Amino acid sequence: MTLQRGRIYILPTGLGLAFGVMLFAMLLGSLNYGNNLGLALTFLLGALGVVAMHACHRNLESLVARASDADPPFAGQDALFRIAVANPGRVPRCDLEAAANGAPEATASVAAGGESAFTLRVPTRRRGSIVLERVEIATRFPYGLFRAWAVLHPATHCLVYPQPARDAPPPPLAPGAAGGGAVRSGEDDFAGLKDYHPGDQPRHIAWKAYARADELLVKEFSGEAEAMPVFDLDDAPGSDLETRLSVLARWVVDAHARGLTFGLRLPGEDIAPEPGDAQRRRCLAALARFEAPAPDVA
Amino acid sequence: MSPERDAGFRRLAWATGGLVAALVPHLLRLEPWVCAVVLAASAWRLLAERRGWRLPPPLVRGMIAGAVTAGVYLSYSTITGLDGGTALLALMSAVKLLETRNARDQTVLIFIGWFLCLASFLYAQDVRTAAWVLPTVWLLAAALLVVARRGEDGTPLRPFRTTGAMLLKGAPIAVILFAFFPRLAGSFWGLPSGERALTGLTEEMSPGDISDLTLNDVVAFRVRFDGPLPPPRERYWRGLVFSEFDGKTWSRESVRSFPWKKPTHSAAAVGYTVTLEPTGQRMLFALDLVDHWTPGVAVQSWDYSLRTPRPVNSVLRYDATSYPRYNAGEQLAPDLRDLNLELPFGRNPRTAALAKGLRASSASDADYIRAVLRLFREQEFYYTLSPPGLERDSVDDFLFNTRRGFCGHFASAFTALMRAAGIPARIVAGYQGGDWNSVGGYLIVRQSHAHAWSEVWLPGRGWWRVDPTAAVAPERIERGIAASAAGSELAEGGLLRDSEFFWQARMLWDNLNAEWNDWVVRFDRANQEELLAHLGFHNPGWAAFATVLVVGLGLAGVVLLLWLALEYRPRRPDAVTAAYRKFTGRLARRGIEPAVGEAPRAFAKRVRYLRPDLGVASLSITEAYLRLRYGPAPAATDLDFLRREVARFRP
Repeated sequence: MTLQRGRIYILPTGLGLAFGVMLFAMLLGSLNYGNNLGLALTFLLGALGVVAMHACHRNLESLVARASDADPPFAGQDALFRIAVANPGRVPRCDLEAAANGAPEATASVAAGGESAFTLRVPTRRRGSIVLERVEIATRFPYGLFRAWAVLHPATHCLVYPQPARDAPPPPLAPGAAGGGAVRSGEDDFAGLKDYHPGDQPRHIAWKAYARADELLVKEFSGEAEAMPVFDLDDAPGSDLETRLSVLARWVVDAHARGLTFGLRLPGEDIAPEPGDAQRRRCLAALARFEAPAPDVA
Repeated sequence: MSPERDAGFRRLAWATGGLVAALVPHLLRLEPWVCAVVLAASAWRLLAERRGWRLPPPLVRGMIAGAVTAGVYLSYSTITGLDGGTALLALMSAVKLLETRNARDQTVLIFIGWFLCLASFLYAQDVRTAAWVLPTVWLLAAALLVVARRGEDGTPLRPFRTTGAMLLKGAPIAVILFAFFPRLAGSFWGLPSGERALTGLTEEMSPGDISDLTLNDVVAFRVRFDGPLPPPRERYWRGLVFSEFDGKTWSRESVRSFPWKKPTHSAAAVGYTVTLEPTGQRMLFALDLVDHWTPGVAVQSWDYSLRTPRPVNSVLRYDATSYPRYNAGEQLAPDLRDLNLELPFGRNPRTAALAKGLRASSASDADYIRAVLRLFREQEFYYTLSPPGLERDSVDDFLFNTRRGFCGHFASAFTALMRAAGIPARIVAGYQGGDWNSVGGYLIVRQSHAHAWSEVWLPGRGWWRVDPTAAVAPERIERGIAASAAGSELAEGGLLRDSEFFWQARMLWDNLNAEWNDWVVRFDRANQEELLAHLGFHNPGWAAFATVLVVGLGLAGVVLLLWLALEYRPRRPDAVTAAYRKFTGRLARRGIEPAVGEAPRAFAKRVRYLRPDLGVASLSITEAYLRLRYGPAPAATDLDFLRREVARFRP
């Protein structure tokens, strides 16, 4: 969305107010002493303040901001929302700040005709979904005498996966020969190539294919036939639902890391065993969204 | 050094640089120790930043602050007032430097710098000061820009250029405010009434005083004549009249007052306008003998000198009309007669004896005056810039011993000789002559034109000017000091007249100063009303000022907005980008937008995934775009192809 003139607000900062007080003192002194050059100095600085105000406002005007959904983090990690700001104008826009949802301020500058991105690190505490409702893009450039800001309502979402439990017992349906052996056997059978996605293990990247086709591909392996666990909420130990979802998240993450084919069973949702990143995403998303259907589960 | 430390040092260096630049005009005026403290603090702070030294703890800083305040009090015996206040401001900036850690502290330094700029204008408003202070203000604003930057990433800034452009954009606003902001008739609070030590004539005179001034080329005042320039022998600028004599030093009679007697005039009047540089004194200068002048500026005292109500601490302009031929004070009151006959008892006995002898051999007072002037002319008296020092009985010593003197010596001796012979006489101090500036068409009177002469009172004639220096060195009066015997001594003082070229250059420079005085320094309510009259407001009141200010500022604001609109206008995308944007725009209307950071090829693949029907078109458009954008040698047909494909693309 474009930051339009009517949507940009501006107020003097504390420094700007101090500057105003200084100018007033200079004006009184110059008038009192009938000092024309003192008056000229005061008026010159006053005019500089006016120009700074307009320049500050202009520093935001007609920027084009775009927010995109963040990759889901695990609860406790930061959700990284990226906000791209394009500058269609001929003047570089300096020292832009963005802040939202208690995320620390991010700063960026955009060259004339260029594009930059803010990374807003929104902290998460529990699983579920967070929405980036309100982003404030502000600037104090130049001189820091004024602060202009505009409010965006991007309404971009981010799913938050449950935090994988730290010390989870192994899943009950896992084969007895778990651990290193399973990983090795998981790499035995080459099953094909698929598109690379962030999070895929670098050692699985098919570098030869990359050299040929200029496309990042990842080798997929089929694990052992017997290692096709289906993780069930009922099997997960824990005193409350969140703990048990955490344990399930740990099992999913571990199984994916070992290249296993795995499934997930939640009350009201059944995900058939499959390998790969898509499966991991699907399962973790189901865990993130899961809401207890009946009191007896809790 | 780490990039953060580097950036921190850069900010500190900008702020400190601006502060030191703002101090430069004060360096000569401030006590040397103040300058030393400030410069040392600046250097130490920069070094500490470079080397990572620790800053002094609060207790030490507090002690330094207390010590410098006490120092200012001891040196200036006050911590307020212009001198003390400026010294304190400079020293506090030094103390502030010692605790400067963050952008906020540096901002305080910059603000102090601007105040120091204002203070230097309170001292002097000449072209030289302005020429230094304006770039300093610019530098300080640029420093604020550097200090206020948030991220160090971003586009590298050119602080001077950016700030210069902003100042230029603000200039119309500043000019309108300067021209039409109403000036006060009086002042809010008391003006400093203390007389300041400025070069020039003072309220008393010892014989050697004026020769010091002669080496000073500083302008005392400038005069524009309404009519033709009066001849040199009529260019006597009366400033002060000295009637009191203690045997060595002459001074103004400042206690008693005498009735003012209206002079009578003959011959034509001379009208002129004087622009007087600050003197720090209450005297004004006018051609003998002034008849009327800008009302309210001064009053004429009984000795026909002009006195201002307050010391002249800023450039003052006044009109005056004088009559070169006059009769003044034909009736001399007895007390005034006594005052002008007084000689200190028992001092200068040989002078008294000489006067008695000469008067006895002269037929009349006028004869006696001629005899004394002949004595100066015919005996071995020398007109010199570097006369020897005189004993306690200065007139005796001069007349019978040294015989070398400047105008003050001759006037002093002549006046004493007159009084000793019973002729009322007094000394008039002021200026004589002036340099004609043919560039600007005005007369420049410099400190080097300072002069002292005598006035004697003759029955039936009144006060009559006698210049004993003219008897010894007539060329001094007719052609100026450089042409006189003392002129060769000026060469040693570095004041020899330059070549024609330099003379012209100096006149041009002086003309610039004169215009500056007229249009900037002395721009006042009267000038404003004149300006408003040109705009059609006669007898302007507050309403007229408000109207002109609002309209003028509105116009300046429009100029600013247009300028900014031009500067910030959107850049026209090139054909390739425009075509690709049309493509993404059409997709956006269907709810498919490139994610932040998503490359065009990845975006096209996502389009293919979301809308298989658009896959082929999207990929071919994207490939054509990438070829045109990044390919080594894009063909001309590629652009046509891209445009055609985009035009056909209807999601």
